[in-house]
Amino acid sequence: MNLGFVIGVFGVLILSHAAYSTIQYRGLLKIMEEEFSGPTMNVVLELIIGLVLCMWAALTFPGKFLSIHPDSDENRAVSLPDNSDFMIFNHRGRLFPPEVNMKF
Amino acid sequence: MVTKTEETQLNELENQVENGGGGVWEYLCLVRKLKVRRSEIVLKHGLSILNDPGKRSALGPDEWTLYEQVAIAAMDCQSLAVAQNCIKVLQKKFPESKRVGKQEALLLEAKGMWEEAEKAYTSLLEDNPLDQVIHKRKVAMAKSQGKPSLAIEHLNKYLEVFMADHDAWRELAEIYVSLQMYKQAAFCYEELILTQPTLPLYHLAYADVLYTIGGLENLVAARKYYAATIDLTGGKSTRALLGICLCGSAIAQLSKGRNKEDKDMAAPELQSLAATALEKEYKQKAPAKLNLLTSALRSLKIS
Repeated sequence: MNLGFVIGVFGVLILSHAAYSTIQYRGLLKIMEEEFSGPTMNVVLELIIGLVLCMWAALTFPGKFLSIHPDSDENRAVSLPDNSDFMIFNHRGRLFPPEVNMKF
Repeated sequence: MVTKTEETQLNELENQVENGGGGVWEYLCLVRKLKVRRSEIVLKHGLSILNDPGKRSALGPDEWTLYEQVAIAAMDCQSLAVAQNCIKVLQKKFPESKRVGKQEALLLEAKGMWEEAEKAYTSLLEDNPLDQVIHKRKVAMAKSQGKPSLAIEHLNKYLEVFMADHDAWRELAEIYVSLQMYKQAAFCYEELILTQPTLPLYHLAYADVLYTIGGLENLVAARKYYAATIDLTGGKSTRALLGICLCGSAIAQLSKGRNKEDKDMAAPELQSLAATALEKEYKQKAPAKLNLLTSALRSLKIS
C-alpha cells in the first residue's frame, strides 16, 4: 500500500466525519429549536484538511503526469519508422552476409 | 514515429542484448513496436530464442509472431535458408493463411524471382483486391528491380485509392527526391505536413526540398519551415538551425542590390540567433568540433 493511497483514505474518512458531525449538529439544533446558520468551526477545519489531503492523494496516487509539450523528450519525434511495407531486399547488404553463420 | 525517450530506450536495450545481458524478447518487441530495421541483431538473437525449445514455448502464441519477424530479418540479411525454414514452420501451423502467403511471396522477392513473386501477389490480390500491403509490395518490387518510374506509377495509382496513407506519401516523396524531381517531392511533403502537422520531421524535409530547389521565394519559404521545425522541437534540431543559417546567407546573396524591402527579407538577426544557438550546442556536446563550425559560419558571413 502506498503512502498517497493511505492519505487519500484518511482524507475521505475526515470528510465523512465532517458530514456526520454536521448531521448531528443539525439534529441538536432541531431539538433546541434554533435556526441553522452555518456549520461549526471544527467541521469547516475538517473540510479544509480533507480537501487538501484528498487533492494531494488524487495528484500523486494515480501515476505521473504526461508531458504535453511537443518538444519534451517523450513527445519529440527524432526519427520516422523505417517504412517496412516498402522494404526491399535487393540492397548492398546482400554483398555482406552476416558474419556469424546461423543455423535453424 | 520514434520519440527521443523511445530511441534512448531502444539503444540501451540494444547495448544490453549485444553484450549478452538478457532482455532479448523485450528488445524484439520494441523493435516490432517502433518498426525499426535492425535485421542483423533481430536475426541473431531471434534465432537464439527459436533454437531453444524451452524459451520458445514460454512465449506462447507470440512464438508465431517471432517466427514471422525472424523470417523477414533473415530475408533482409540474405539468409534465405533460415527464412525458408521459418516460413515452412508457419505454413505447417497455419495452412491456407493469407499472411503466410505474403511471406512466401516475400521470399520469392528476396530470391530475385520477380515473375513468380508477381504471380503470387496477383493471385493474393484476386482474393482481396483492396489489400494495401500487397499493393505496396508491388511498388517495392518495381523499386527493387531498379525501375523507379514504374514504382511512381504504381504509387500514384495506389494513392488515388488510399489517399490517407502517409507512409505511401513519404515513400513517393523519397523516390522523387532520389530522382531529383524536387517539385513533385515538395508536393508530397506538403501533403504529409497537412496530415501530420505536429511532426517536425516533415517540416524539416519539406524545407530541405525547398532549399534545394532554390530561388528567392522558395528560400524564404524554406526558412519559414526550418523555423517551424525549431519551434516544434524546442530548438533541439541541429539540422534546422544550420538550415536557417544557410537560407539566410543564400537570401542575402540573392537580394543583394535590390530595393530596401527585399533586403529586409534577409533578417540577419535570425541568422545570428541561430548561429549563437549552434555555437552553444557545439560547445556543450562536441567542443572539439567547434572550430569547424565557426569557420563554416564565417564562410557564410554570419557571426
